[in-house]
Amino acid sequence: MRTFFNLLKINLNLNFGISALKYRFTKEKKRLWEPILIGLCVILGLGFMTVTISFLMFAIFLAGKQVNKPEMVLTLAVLAGQFLILFFGILYVMSSFYFSPDLNILIPLPLKPSQVLGSKFAVIMINEYLTLLPMLLPAIVIYGAGMRMGFLYWLKGLLIFLAAPVIPLIIGSLLIMILMRFINFRKSKDLLAVIGGIFGVIISLSVNYFMQSFPKVNEEEIVNNLLSGQFNLIEMIGQRFPPSIWATYALSRPGLEGLGYLALFLGMSVILFAALMWLGNQIFYKSVLSGQEVSRKHKALTKEEIGRKYVKTSSAVSALFWREWKLFLRTPVYAMNGIAGMVIAPFAMLIPILANKEIDKDKMLSFIQNPDYILPISLVGLAIMLFTSSMNIVASTSVSREGQMFWISKMIPVHPKEQVTAKLIHGIAIQTIGVLVTGAVFAFVTRISFLHLLALLLLGVIGTVGLVAINLLIDVLRPKLDWKNPQEAVKSNMNGFLGMLATFAILGVLSAAAVGMVLLNLPHWLIYLLLGILMIIFAVALSIGLFAVAEYKYPHIEA
Amino acid sequence: MVKIENLSKGYNKGSVKAVDNLNLHVRPGEIFGFLGPNGAGKTTTIKMMVGLINPDSGSISINGYDISRQPLDVKRSIGYVPDNPDVYEKLTGMEYLKFMADVYRVPSKVRKERIEYFLDMFGLTNAASDLIKSYSHGMKQKIVLIGAIIHDPALWILDEPMVGLDPKSAHQLKELMRQHCDKGNTVFFSTHVLEVAERLCDRLAIINKGKLVAIGTMDELRKGDQADSLENIFLELTE
Repeated sequence: MRTFFNLLKINLNLNFGISALKYRFTKEKKRLWEPILIGLCVILGLGFMTVTISFLMFAIFLAGKQVNKPEMVLTLAVLAGQFLILFFGILYVMSSFYFSPDLNILIPLPLKPSQVLGSKFAVIMINEYLTLLPMLLPAIVIYGAGMRMGFLYWLKGLLIFLAAPVIPLIIGSLLIMILMRFINFRKSKDLLAVIGGIFGVIISLSVNYFMQSFPKVNEEEIVNNLLSGQFNLIEMIGQRFPPSIWATYALSRPGLEGLGYLALFLGMSVILFAALMWLGNQIFYKSVLSGQEVSRKHKALTKEEIGRKYVKTSSAVSALFWREWKLFLRTPVYAMNGIAGMVIAPFAMLIPILANKEIDKDKMLSFIQNPDYILPISLVGLAIMLFTSSMNIVASTSVSREGQMFWISKMIPVHPKEQVTAKLIHGIAIQTIGVLVTGAVFAFVTRISFLHLLALLLLGVIGTVGLVAINLLIDVLRPKLDWKNPQEAVKSNMNGFLGMLATFAILGVLSAAAVGMVLLNLPHWLIYLLLGILMIIFAVALSIGLFAVAEYKYPHIEA
Repeated sequence: MVKIENLSKGYNKGSVKAVDNLNLHVRPGEIFGFLGPNGAGKTTTIKMMVGLINPDSGSISINGYDISRQPLDVKRSIGYVPDNPDVYEKLTGMEYLKFMADVYRVPSKVRKERIEYFLDMFGLTNAASDLIKSYSHGMKQKIVLIGAIIHDPALWILDEPMVGLDPKSAHQLKELMRQHCDKGNTVFFSTHVLEVAERLCDRLAIINKGKLVAIGTMDELRKGDQADSLENIFLELTE
């Protein structure tokens, strides 16, 4: 048991970066504000979510009370919380159990597979409390306060909260472990990451569609829905997944009955945990080890192939561009974070229009095509085009993504200006995909003329240059090179967030200029021309700034 | 070929001296071994020589170019292999070599000859079209080495080049180093394998705690005691 707790301590330390933080605050003393800012953002974000969900839960509680089912809020919260945990849990479990670099250190140590598995499981569980908090806490508090429950309720509430992640997380773990036992995951690692990404996108689109076709939440409507049986769905799902009903009864039923359900809920968690540990000892290492085998094609290149494909010389900028392009597209976490969003966002915006039956499509089209409105609508389209295509991490993590390989960029005899030029072109090329997709969706909705669309696309691409340059500039100024897993380079990188702020600022200026010109009643062609000139000014100024910063900064970035 | 003068580098705001007032002069045509215990400052010195980190003070001149003022000229004239071959795992070996040949502006004909020659020599011809992520440590080391010398630089700077290489590849690398220097070029390399250093190097330097503690040929280091091995000298000087 002591070994297990020592392992858990180390894993928690690594997960929350405690030693790294200590080192940063006591020894390095560099950018101390950063972790504090991140901590504040997390607290604010969680607080905001908790408050928003509390309002919803309160409405559901009041509605439930009217039809004598106040405990419905608990079922809904437990069910939603556990579903979220299952969804995120599968992703966490996959990366922590199977793709984590520490396995190479842990497997040779004299530890039981169940100890390694158990400590990793516990760390994921602790992380999951953050997911659970905004969902479950408001429901427990609202029900407890609303029904004036006693001390025992709050104690049971605490236990239910602590135990809630166990069952869904174990279900997720078991699914993943069995899946991994039968496939060579390392060989299909990239494929799995893409499938995971697509799975995420499908879920988010479905939620979007569902929310759009769902009636707006107010108490009266919920009561109507309850009476008309729409919420039976929740109960039905609850019946299929009894632990959520047990948790509800454990909290809402008085006396021994409540305690009995609590025992059932906790007992099931313990039994499943024991099963996971048993299975861990049986198959965990076997599946991890089978995945360590590396496959190679071992196809010899003929001299002709070497001559044909690789001997042709290219300029340094072209070589660097293709390096960026290949590394970006071949690393699923980069490609998904960079491209998926900008391709899906326009469709996600389209869905509410298509799903909402209250919108009269013909009326909408005649409104759009009214000569008085076509300009503002086109400008909004342009803004959306620029917005969706730049909401990615392509440029803002371009240097960071090089990580430990940055020594190559420092070693090659290529001027920093040329190096960032290749990155700039790469960013523009990727974002142009976003501009084209949004443009196509926009043209589909508005049916604007081809020439008009072409003008908008051209402006979209020109506008992209400045946005890519500013995002790149941020990453050149403060690259995050110290990462072990490509995920960290894009997901735990503040530059993505800072880049978005900068993008908002520039889009804000462009929008203000556009609104001003529309209000001045300038001719359409002149507005487009002036906007184009403004975008070119941004592009040139920011590119010059980027080159200057790169020239100064590159020699100082220590790899 | 390499002139290092009064070079210093500290960490944690100067509280830890990784390299302390180092002076070195490496001549054309010699294989120069750079020795020292773990943490002595070898890699830090090498990283400063190739421009990966900046010195706090002192100067480094390579092939007549100053690393801080003419970094691109220095980079064009050296080939560097780091101690840990972190390389683009999502490129194939061949794509990596093409990339290196492009950035070093190696003409078509030359690159074809050299790529074929080195791939064959290090037994990588069959693996060249595989992604580097499928390579072993030694194979990565070899692909990085080929990439580093594809432009036939006058000075090779190799940090622990033998680590991870199989005996045959290590032998070939030693042969290559000797041939390179016989043509009037220079190899500067760090190693912990004292037997290799003793047999291969024309001159050696030993550093300890960032300071140079000995420099010279094997004979000069022995100071007349012909029976003394490099191991004994090393242990004595780095105690």
